Amino acid sequence: MMLAFAEIKRARGRFLSIIGALALITFLVLTLSALSDGLFYGSTGAYRSSNADGYAYSTDAEGSLIRSRVPVADAQKYGQIPGVTKASGLGVLLTSGTGPNGELDLAVFGVEPGGAGIPTTLTQGRLPNPGEDSAAAVDKTVVDKGATIGSTIKVGDRSVTVVGVTQDSNYQLQPTIWTTIPTWRAMQASVRPETRGLPPNYSAIALEFSNGTTAASIPPVTGTSVLSTDEAALAIPGVKEQRSTLNSIIYTTLLVAALVVALFFALIVLEKRELFAALKALGTSTRRLANTVMTQALVASIIGVIIGVIAARLLGLALPAQVPTLFRTESLIQISIFTIVASVIGALFSLRRIARIDPATALGGALQ
Amino acid sequence: MTTNTVAPADVQQTGKPILEVVDVTKTYGEGHTAVTAIAAASLSVAEGQFVSLLGPSGSGKTTLISMIGGLLTPTSGTIRLGDQVVSDMSKKELTNLRAERVGFVFQSSNLVPFLTARENLLYVASLPKKHSRKAAAKRADELLGELGLSDRANNVPEKLSGGERQRVAIGRALMNDPDLILVDEPTAALDTALGRQVVQLLAREVKQRGKTGIMVTHDLRMVEYTDQVFEILDGHLTKSDGTTLLDGH
Ligand SMILES: Nc1ncnc2c1ncn2[C@@H]1O[C@H](COP(=O)(O)OP(=O)(O)OP(=O)(O)O)[C@@H](O)[C@H]1O
Ligand SMILES: [Mg+2]
Repeated sequence: MMLAFAEIKRARGRFLSIIGALALITFLVLTLSALSDGLFYGSTGAYRSSNADGYAYSTDAEGSLIRSRVPVADAQKYGQIPGVTKASGLGVLLTSGTGPNGELDLAVFGVEPGGAGIPTTLTQGRLPNPGEDSAAAVDKTVVDKGATIGSTIKVGDRSVTVVGVTQDSNYQLQPTIWTTIPTWRAMQASVRPETRGLPPNYSAIALEFSNGTTAASIPPVTGTSVLSTDEAALAIPGVKEQRSTLNSIIYTTLLVAALVVALFFALIVLEKRELFAALKALGTSTRRLANTVMTQALVASIIGVIIGVIAARLLGLALPAQVPTLFRTESLIQISIFTIVASVIGALFSLRRIARIDPATALGGALQ
Repeated sequence: MTTNTVAPADVQQTGKPILEVVDVTKTYGEGHTAVTAIAAASLSVAEGQFVSLLGPSGSGKTTLISMIGGLLTPTSGTIRLGDQVVSDMSKKELTNLRAERVGFVFQSSNLVPFLTARENLLYVASLPKKHSRKAAAKRADELLGELGLSDRANNVPEKLSGGERQRVAIGRALMNDPDLILVDEPTAALDTALGRQVVQLLAREVKQRGKTGIMVTHDLRMVEYTDQVFEILDGHLTKSDGTTLLDGH
């Protein structure tokens, strides 16, 4: 311990470089993960906050609510399948509307009050009542853009009054408003004139299952397919790809952390071969020298991670709201631990080198 | 001083032998490339003796004291330090032996660069299994005082002169009250006057503390500070009577 801390204290410069490198890596990984989480959570909120256990789409929609279109009659058909306790129509419209502070992008969700597919994350007010056609609950992000309970949001020629606020319920990074099926239809007809005159349909059907029933065990109605809510979240176009791309960058960066630390300590040990030989000659065990190096790796990575975490959080605060970042404590702890473990693994590689140092080389002449 | 009838002819007995080297051979490598660095060397050194070991480059001086200090294992033969047989010990036992019973002074002082003079002494005090921090601190201060380093105690080696560094190294070698002090060319990095001072100091410490010391040197002028002189030539060890030394140089 004496050696480990004295060196960090007195040879501060060199340790600052490794601490800096680890801080930078932690910062990078945290920011990437916040972006990954931000994209994922911002895209999938409508599913994750939903009370539904699964969704039925038209087969050609490939899991996209926007592309999906199912006949109204299919809701009844699903309702009759054993194991399905609720089957409710769901309408989705990606559009823009006007709020108290002007224009905003919106995802309009038409739901059946009391049915499946409604958000469970209400923090204020209520959802529209059955038959209450000009009311909507809105996601908190709409509130952040100036709406409050009682304010009016207009989509096309239809206006709704905000009656409640939900949380973490967005879809494809667009703020959601939750209204009734007829209101959704009216909005759709207003902003998408080409849908006028088509037979009434839903975008999808939200399903609730009895205990023990899974999405896979439901025989799908002809022309539709069923996904569980978790599968549905990953089926949103781009979500899986974004997540796996960002995750592989994160894992690569962690690998880089291990390499950086491995290289750093390999260098340190190389440079200190002579000193370590002398210390061994004086009666220092290999184990004690190994402990010294591992302690240093641990201390450097912990300090580096702390600085990286602080820097990432500061950046998070400074970023404009349009950048979809989400700093989750869980990810933060996970990444901190991973970085520290990667560093320790990197440092482990120098132990063999330490073990191989021959104390006999400490005496004059033998080194040549 | 009693006469010892069983002592080898070339060893002058002045007390009970603390170090005995019997028929020790060291061969590096195998087959055609084998080098016999030490051939059937025997010597015994009594407690309180300071001995010098002379010889040309490559003659085997370092090899011999490395074996004596438990840094190398002999190919054959026996080395005894007090009641312990050094030549039979495992690596781990040798590490403990070096920590507890042997003090080394290296050619270049090899102090820990990021520890102060005082901490360098305290570090070796922490190596033996049993150690007391309090006793170590006291002893470190005493030694530093004796070596004239009291006001340099809190400097790192970089801030010390070459002579001061070697004095710290001597303090470090004495720190754990070893039975044996081994010194390999302590003056190589110093000028003559400083080298002389360092060797003088070493001789004084070894004498005062009743330690046994072996010093490897190239420098004939250092021999006057030691009680006995051994010479190695091509791995063959002989006790010198003082005449051959002058012939060789
Ligand atoms: N690790 C080794 N492997 C092979 N041969 C070695 C090794 N160490 C020393 N030797 C050889 O053993 C012989 C004695 O070497 P040693 O280092 O003991 O000599 P020395 O008397 O200390 O020399 P110097 O005065 O130059 O320090 C030399 O021929 C040397 O080349
Ligand atoms: Mg030598």
